[in-house]
Amino acid sequence: MKFWKYYPVILLVVLGLLLPGAASSASAAEKTITIGFTASQTGSLNVEAIRQINGLNLWVEHVNKAGGIKLKDGTVIKIATKFYDDESNKDRVQELYTRLINNDKADFLISPYSSPLADAAAVIAQQYKKIMITTGAASDSTYKKGFTLVYQAYTPASRYLTGSIDLLQKLDPKAKKVAVIYSNDKFSTDVVTAMKKYAEGKGLQVPMFEGYDPATTDFAPFINKIPAGVDAVMGGGHFTDTTTLARQLYEKKVPAKMISLLVAPPEPKFAELGEACICVTGSSQWEPLCKYSPEAAKKEGIEWFGPTIPEFVKAYEAKFNKQEPSYHSAGGYAAGLILQKAIESAGSIDTAKVAAAMDKENMYTFYGHIKFNTAPKLHGLQEGHEMVYIQWQKGKNGKPEKVAVWPAAASTGKAILCKR
Amino acid sequence: MHNWRQPGFWVSFLLVFLGGLVVLVLRQDTLRETAFTILMFVGLAASLNILMGYTGYVNFGHIVFFGLGGYFGFFLVSELGWPLYVAALGGGVLSAIIAYLIGCAVLRLRGAYFALATIGVNEAARAFVSNFEPFGGATGLYVNFSAYERYGGAGQALWLTFILLWLVALAVVVVSYLVKRSRFGLGLSAIREDEDTAMVMGVNAPMDKTKAFLISAFFPGLIGTLYFFKNGNVEPDDAFRFQMSLEVLVMVMLGGKGLLLGPILGAFAYERLRGYLIVSPIFKNLHLALSGGILLLIVLFVPGGGVGWFRDRFPRLRRWLE
Repeated sequence: MKFWKYYPVILLVVLGLLLPGAASSASAAEKTITIGFTASQTGSLNVEAIRQINGLNLWVEHVNKAGGIKLKDGTVIKIATKFYDDESNKDRVQELYTRLINNDKADFLISPYSSPLADAAAVIAQQYKKIMITTGAASDSTYKKGFTLVYQAYTPASRYLTGSIDLLQKLDPKAKKVAVIYSNDKFSTDVVTAMKKYAEGKGLQVPMFEGYDPATTDFAPFINKIPAGVDAVMGGGHFTDTTTLARQLYEKKVPAKMISLLVAPPEPKFAELGEACICVTGSSQWEPLCKYSPEAAKKEGIEWFGPTIPEFVKAYEAKFNKQEPSYHSAGGYAAGLILQKAIESAGSIDTAKVAAAMDKENMYTFYGHIKFNTAPKLHGLQEGHEMVYIQWQKGKNGKPEKVAVWPAAASTGKAILCKR
Repeated sequence: MHNWRQPGFWVSFLLVFLGGLVVLVLRQDTLRETAFTILMFVGLAASLNILMGYTGYVNFGHIVFFGLGGYFGFFLVSELGWPLYVAALGGGVLSAIIAYLIGCAVLRLRGAYFALATIGVNEAARAFVSNFEPFGGATGLYVNFSAYERYGGAGQALWLTFILLWLVALAVVVVSYLVKRSRFGLGLSAIREDEDTAMVMGVNAPMDKTKAFLISAFFPGLIGTLYFFKNGNVEPDDAFRFQMSLEVLVMVMLGGKGLLLGPILGAFAYERLRGYLIVSPIFKNLHLALSGGILLLIVLFVPGGGVGWFRDRFPRLRRWLE
């Protein structure tokens, strides 16, 4: 009986012994990791870069609101971000990434927007053995440099227009000739050079392969050079020049069955061309009207991860004043998902373990298929994700309407051939 | 030998020397990166000063030599596997040769006409490189990460690049001083004050200007090679950024053109101001507007630049503020 007299004391002692342990295990169970990146808040790339960080920040908010990333051992990982403005130029990128790693102790890195800036940052990431997910950087060459910790979220430039070749051959198996008119800059040249090789490999001829200065406003000399009997015209560059090219192709009544151009067609503003935009196809990393879904992923036997497209679009619009998410925003969010999945699979935030998990990653997200090349010469190159091809078609009210036409998993309608 | 006793030279030289030495002693990576950017602009501004400050010819195309020399040096490293030191020298030599050839043509122009011609040269160089296949055309060139192994890994390679840049910056200071204090430099000053009179007095103005242009162009070629090697790639849009030409010009004006110390302090002040504003939580969204405003005030009220203002205000300091 005497024992029970001391019960409160014993209870207090036991609690006293347990509680600090419990408290310390609670603090050990929650960690905050820092994701570092630079964002072009000023300079020529600021619109795209800001959309990208909006997407990334939305992912951070979602993860933290959901209680963090939960590891198998019970540890909960919360996310913090640290970023600086790189002014859309390369001068400061390496300095800022070194600072992010050494001073701000960033655990993981997200690339700046655009390939040249991402290239410069990748050298620093690799040097300090930090995983960097590149988004907004489509160049293939980054992944030919022997990096082992750099992973690409975007479909590489070499596959930006190859789907157009597949689509052309599907719509018109007799098609033989493709004329290519492209902006003479790094991105467009990379894209069309790879596309030309692909087309020739598929038995097509490329009788015209002409580069123009990015500032070109009159395409008549190029259009006049298009050989007779051409089945498709492909190329372009950035928004302004590509829009002008599309308009002048229409005005000159170029009788191509397919017109597939870079960058401009997915933009809603492209519809302002009216009749001139009808039947023009273009590729995009992602579109809100895509049809990726957990069900479609299941059919392919691939795991689905993260929100569905409607969930992402709804959350993005709610946070950013009803602004429709662009592929830049989706790429930012997807970069976060790629990292989240790898951390979950690795059950750790250790760089080597997360990198190993990243190498094995094979999943569908709202953004599409994610899988990385693991061959030493192309390590980190995105090989799962496909470009989505959209086509402007006449809607029921006669106005241009955007339809996703390729690949089948993402399409919302059938592609048509041009009749000009 | 008397020239070396000038305290003005030692102030400039020691500033750059001690700046680099501190970074080497502390061995902090972040500091190295910051110092790299500053030294790059010190080298570019001080080399521009040899033409712009000493002869009064405003050159908007200084970055052409950074781009062309950098491209050539990078080509030697990435495609031909040359050691970085030799490739950088190759970049410098090519820049100097091109400057000589351009100089023979455009240095016959004066004032605004010369300035306009240098803008054209920048655009022409970019268009040329974008279509020049050995330099990768519009796609540019890149170096494999394993190339850094030759220098002991990426970490060591970055330190080596920094050390080489530091030596280049010191060399620019020494050469700037030697030019300024030489008979040739006096000829350049005479050209700046009145070119026709200088020619009447026996200065071979066309040849002296071309020589100044050549010397001024040699260093950006070296710096370009080191910068692109450090970045791991080179592309036309990065190599020929007109904005960078303007920034270097502003650095020279900010510190004081024609002075040895002017471009060094101008580059340092401009770069640090920009660096501070970018990482400041309060100003990071406003840094371009703020730096533009501050620069406007300085150019309006201190046209001789910071060092020039001090020299005017405190004549006793002139020996020290060369």
